[in-house]
Amino acid sequence: MPFFQWEDIVTAFTLFIAVYMVIVILFYTVILLISILQLRKEYKLDRVQVYEDYMEGIYTKPVSIIVPAYNEEAGIVHSVRSLLSVNYPAFEVIVVNDGSTDHTLDKMIDHYDMQEIKKVVRKQINTKPIGKIYQSAIFSNLFLIDKENGGKADALNVGLNFSHYPYFCSLDGDSVLEQDAFLKVMKPIIDSNEEVIASGGSVRIANGCQIQNGRIQKIALSDKPLVVMQIIEYLRAFLMGRIGLSRHNLLLIISGAFGVFSKSWVVAAGGYRTDTVGEDMELVVRMHRLLKEKGQKKKIVYVPDPVCWTEVPEDTTFLRRQRRRWHRGLFESLWIHRKLTFNPKYGSIGLLAFPYFWIVEFFGPIIELFGYIFMLLCLFLGGIYIEFAILLFLLSLLYGSIFSMAAVLLEEWSLTKYPKVSDIIKLFLYSLTETIWYRPMTVIWRCEGIWQMLKGDTSWGEMKRKGVSE
Amino acid sequence: MPNNELFILSVLTISILCILINLLVYLTIRKAIDLKRREKIEKYKEIYNPLIFQLLTEGSYSRKLTPESPLQQKAIEELLSRYANVLEGEEERKRLTEFASMHLTEYYRKRLKSKKWSTRMNTLYHIDDFNMISLLDDVYGLTKKNRLSHEELVHILRILALFQFQPLFQLLTNNYQYLSEYDYRHILIRLEKKQFDQFVLHFHKAELPLQKAVLEVISIKRERSYLPFIENSILINTGEVKLRSLKALAEIGYVKNINPYLDLLYSTKWEERMIAAKLIGSLKVEKAMPRLIELLHDQTWWVRYQAGQSICQFANGKDILRKVLETSKDVFAKDMAWEWLHKGV
Repeated sequence: MPFFQWEDIVTAFTLFIAVYMVIVILFYTVILLISILQLRKEYKLDRVQVYEDYMEGIYTKPVSIIVPAYNEEAGIVHSVRSLLSVNYPAFEVIVVNDGSTDHTLDKMIDHYDMQEIKKVVRKQINTKPIGKIYQSAIFSNLFLIDKENGGKADALNVGLNFSHYPYFCSLDGDSVLEQDAFLKVMKPIIDSNEEVIASGGSVRIANGCQIQNGRIQKIALSDKPLVVMQIIEYLRAFLMGRIGLSRHNLLLIISGAFGVFSKSWVVAAGGYRTDTVGEDMELVVRMHRLLKEKGQKKKIVYVPDPVCWTEVPEDTTFLRRQRRRWHRGLFESLWIHRKLTFNPKYGSIGLLAFPYFWIVEFFGPIIELFGYIFMLLCLFLGGIYIEFAILLFLLSLLYGSIFSMAAVLLEEWSLTKYPKVSDIIKLFLYSLTETIWYRPMTVIWRCEGIWQMLKGDTSWGEMKRKGVSE
Repeated sequence: MPNNELFILSVLTISILCILINLLVYLTIRKAIDLKRREKIEKYKEIYNPLIFQLLTEGSYSRKLTPESPLQQKAIEELLSRYANVLEGEEERKRLTEFASMHLTEYYRKRLKSKKWSTRMNTLYHIDDFNMISLLDDVYGLTKKNRLSHEELVHILRILALFQFQPLFQLLTNNYQYLSEYDYRHILIRLEKKQFDQFVLHFHKAELPLQKAVLEVISIKRERSYLPFIENSILINTGEVKLRSLKALAEIGYVKNINPYLDLLYSTKWEERMIAAKLIGSLKVEKAMPRLIELLHDQTWWVRYQAGQSICQFANGKDILRKVLETSKDVFAKDMAWEWLHKGV
């Protein structure tokens, strides 16, 4: 290399990393501050009281709960039972059997005495053909639709076509709902007089908790390091990230595990896309886009209250698949709507949210990976002082923990779910170790996701559930 | 590498470490104190619960029921809230209000002036739950505050409505004309007839959200005495107000003379056809049946759906639907008839 010395490369790359880190830290700090202000305002607000008013049927809007089920014979009866007991004045449950090859259909028919009905389904969104439709003889608000296999998004679209009510909720097969979940997420919709067209809540991790009959009995912290790290991750993502984004209507993700949408707007946007692995994010982005294109001032919001508990992977194989898939889903949503990036026509979504998701969420892992490789190279080739490297490392370790602990602080101010003092200390100690093992691991997985995509690999990577319910 | 860069980094590292340690100490101590407090409150609740139960059901007052410390007040408050949700009897509710007014009035008076938004909101909820009319002036006084959040304002107005506060009419029509229909409905639903009548009289001068709320409240309460008002409103209004009035009429389900409404079955607006069909169904007007059957062929799904439901409400409705199913050539009408015949449970 006649013109470029190794030292020059080192200087240039260090500078690049430094600038990148400053941008990311600034992003996070601003979001954290917004969240702190919001949650501090609601500090010690008696939430039960707030929701009581909404139980009176005249104020509430009915919701259709759509449960896509593919080979869920183990959990489907339980899930449906817990859904039927939610605390909400008017709702219907629509189970869509997505061409299961096991006994999902028979179990439902047997257990809930499902009777075949003839019903005209308005085909507002194109789907795979549907077969028989059933209604329970025991619960008149429980329906079951049998259809050809077409994936989760297609099943959701079928449920959407069939649903009777103006709002619908998409739900993962195996999540456990809080009793007041619907009151919580419908509140902003009702309050805003339908200015809010979609609303999501916090998703919490069920591993380690005691669950009976589809209800959380006791909340506890799991003993598995991998799960604790994910708990910290979720707290950070939900309490810090989404409150901050939602405050300024920049929310691009409503978790697929639980979210309520206005049906007419989803239909107007064209329903769920069946050709992406991140159909939940893609839909929200599309709705934002539609709103901007129509010049409507509607909102998509997030409520900090936990609404549902979900099981996360406990071993690296499944976690790895999940992360690869997520990263691909993220990319697909951003790529399909790449036109929005830095496009002033789309306002803050184009100028803030999209750049944030591209720079921090999507390119973050790639840049981090290069950072790790660079560090290793430096150790062999020289060019960096060892003290300097150690300090940088310590710094990144600590600053990561600050955001994690800030998320724990937000949790304590607002919801206070984990019951013991020792839980906090445990969360703290684990968060200190994140940079050493968990972070690099997920970074590599996410980069693998990108790699797979470049290779054109389209395998899915389903999650194996062991069933959290007793 | 110059030493001062290393120095800056070290300072940064140490200061972040300090912040972290402070955070940890704060969090653990807070948690410990919270857990202690909760434990104490639970203990007080155990002591107070039987006494309060006795007081509410039998009216016998125990000397031991005098909360002094904030924790004791909190315990009592939590117990009362729980009872407020389940008590049905007039007498018991009165006792609860009396007891709450006796022991919590001063405490709440102070808390209403708190700087914290959440404290004030919680207090408002409790005043509402315990029906503490003794705090009426304090609650009303809050409306004069600058910088009142929207949630607080609506809640204050709701409490004033609960207390049937006379000047509420002036407040809503002069000072707070920018509330949403939903907010107004929330407030108006709590008014007794005498108070509510003021809003009905004011109807034609009111803004659209307030008008819609008044109509909505009438349809929820199904108050027959407002029939002349509703019928008049249908005659003189157009657009959404007319539709809402029709809906209220359909909810009340009674008119002296149906003839003027039969024309609406032929309206060019599908919403009007739909609501007219609903009205015909709830009144069971035999002579409109042929038109209802025609509406099963309507181009709008909602109208067909409503027509099917309305036909079902007639005694011979199912037979008529069956006939449509057998004889009609229109696929849409057949589908809808099928659906209403097999509506399941």
